[in-house]
Amino acid sequence: MLKDTMTPKERAAAIAAGKPVDRMPCNPNIANGVARVYGCKISEFNTNAKTIADAQIACYRRFGADSARIFTDLFTFAEAMGAKVKFPDDDTADLEAPAISADVPDSELMKEIEKIRPVDPYHDARLPLHLEAMKYLLDGVGDEMGCSAGVIGPFTNSFFLLGVERTLRAIHKNPEVVHKLTQISLDCAKSFADAAIKIGLTPTISEPMSSCTVVSPKVFREFSLPYLKERVDFIKSKGKGVVIHICGQTNKIWRDLADMGIAGMSIDNVASIKECKALIGNDTKIMGNVDPGGVMYSGTPDEVRLKTLECIRDGYDSPKGYMIMSGCSLPVDSPFENIDSMMNTVRELGYPVDVNKLDAMLADVKKRLGI
Amino acid sequence: MAATKEELLQRLSDCVLNMEDEEVIDVAKEYAAAGYDPLDGILKGLVAGINKASDLYEREEYFIPELLICSSAMYNALDVLRPLIPKEQSGGKCKVVIGVARGDTHDIGKNLVKIMLESANYEVIDLGRDVPVEDFVNTAKREGAKVIGLSTLMSTSMNNMAKVVEMLKSEGIKDQIKVIVGGGPISQSFADKIGADGYSVNAAEAVKLVDRLVGNAEPIPAA
Repeated sequence: MLKDTMTPKERAAAIAAGKPVDRMPCNPNIANGVARVYGCKISEFNTNAKTIADAQIACYRRFGADSARIFTDLFTFAEAMGAKVKFPDDDTADLEAPAISADVPDSELMKEIEKIRPVDPYHDARLPLHLEAMKYLLDGVGDEMGCSAGVIGPFTNSFFLLGVERTLRAIHKNPEVVHKLTQISLDCAKSFADAAIKIGLTPTISEPMSSCTVVSPKVFREFSLPYLKERVDFIKSKGKGVVIHICGQTNKIWRDLADMGIAGMSIDNVASIKECKALIGNDTKIMGNVDPGGVMYSGTPDEVRLKTLECIRDGYDSPKGYMIMSGCSLPVDSPFENIDSMMNTVRELGYPVDVNKLDAMLADVKKRLGI
Repeated sequence: MAATKEELLQRLSDCVLNMEDEEVIDVAKEYAAAGYDPLDGILKGLVAGINKASDLYEREEYFIPELLICSSAMYNALDVLRPLIPKEQSGGKCKVVIGVARGDTHDIGKNLVKIMLESANYEVIDLGRDVPVEDFVNTAKREGAKVIGLSTLMSTSMNNMAKVVEMLKSEGIKDQIKVIVGGGPISQSFADKIGADGYSVNAAEAVKLVDRLVGNAEPIPAA
């Protein structure tokens, strides 16, 4: 097996300085699958900060990915704001009940939202645990790689406060309620983003409900964008670049996102790297987008190799940079050999990308797959 | 002057299309009070409206919130019109067991398919979300269903879709019960790979797919 000769930090610094490196940065986006590497149950991430960090570190030592992120699920803010979250023994946490009970009639909603108090990141729910895990992560690998903190976007968080279906409905039937929820989601979580930055991590924003697979670009621009922009501006004001990930199709809102001045746009496998590069490649780094379910989880190592090479072929020459990544967090039981295949493909290719070599590798794997 | 049947059908359709989920109830009541055929009201009014909404969804003019409210409008009016349908007309077609495969709790897509199938007169047994593999198979056997419909939005439950097909095979009843799959991460190639009988890209197509699989498809007219 090929070995990395640089740390992610050395690699990033050399690329920024225009110097040669061992390989292109790569992030398979293993998420809670790190539990499978470390040998713990996913539910341990809900009670043990050291375990969250150690599992990330174990995963980095095993696969050598260029990113480590403290993030367990989408519900940490909503939970701190009163939502009920269920914690399966060995699977990712899920929303059990929104912060605002389904029994509250529409006419009472504004009053009920007023009652939600600002989040204290040092005391509420699992937030202090995550902050502590960030410190352990930095202590463990901070000198080797940039560490990031997962932050849930304000619009998405609103859905967990009011309930997903009720919020979707309210977009048309009760718009001021959605605005109010998103405003308090923005305000409440500001202190968490601030705390993470103080520790030394870089926030990355997950904003899945803003996807064009869920809401229209028009709804995104009215209900999500103004608040998302405020969060991005806040993080930028602290001297950090912001990467945004939105699941599903996002092509119709790339321009809006790039115009916020983000450091990177992470796109899902249904979106096109080529199209993204053409539209916003001059503005921001593009990250993505090997299919996490169809390829990384259920494909073979050669299929992973093919898709990894195809993504790189589409993205490697993007003006503001490109990082090969999975389209979204991997399913927790994604086979290790597929993750290895992605990393080894990138190692074998080297960097800067030699297109002739890339095309030869592509032809070779296509032949093996009989394509 | 009382509204004609055509006017009311148009209004039912428009209410569904335009997300008028409260006004549609009054229109359905007016339609029913006038004594017009309830099945026409459903098929030529409500289903026509939801089909137009589905078209807008495919053209990316409507998205999930809009489709959700359209389907609410349709359900609200169905509650008025469905009890008026004579018994021999409803349940005429076969049973379909439907649910979100274990590993996922997103059920909007599944609910839309259910609405469409019910409107097309199928008897739908809805197992809900995060449904274990064996529940699909056992329910289909017990109810004598001819079709199992599996939905997911998340890649985490794709594996369980494959297991439903495997379980039907190992019990030797795969030929009697058709399996259809759909949802965000699903594709025709995935359906082929796990040995499902069909894939549909959206709820409207799902009805045509079931029609085809159980032999209810209208014959293609000779040219």
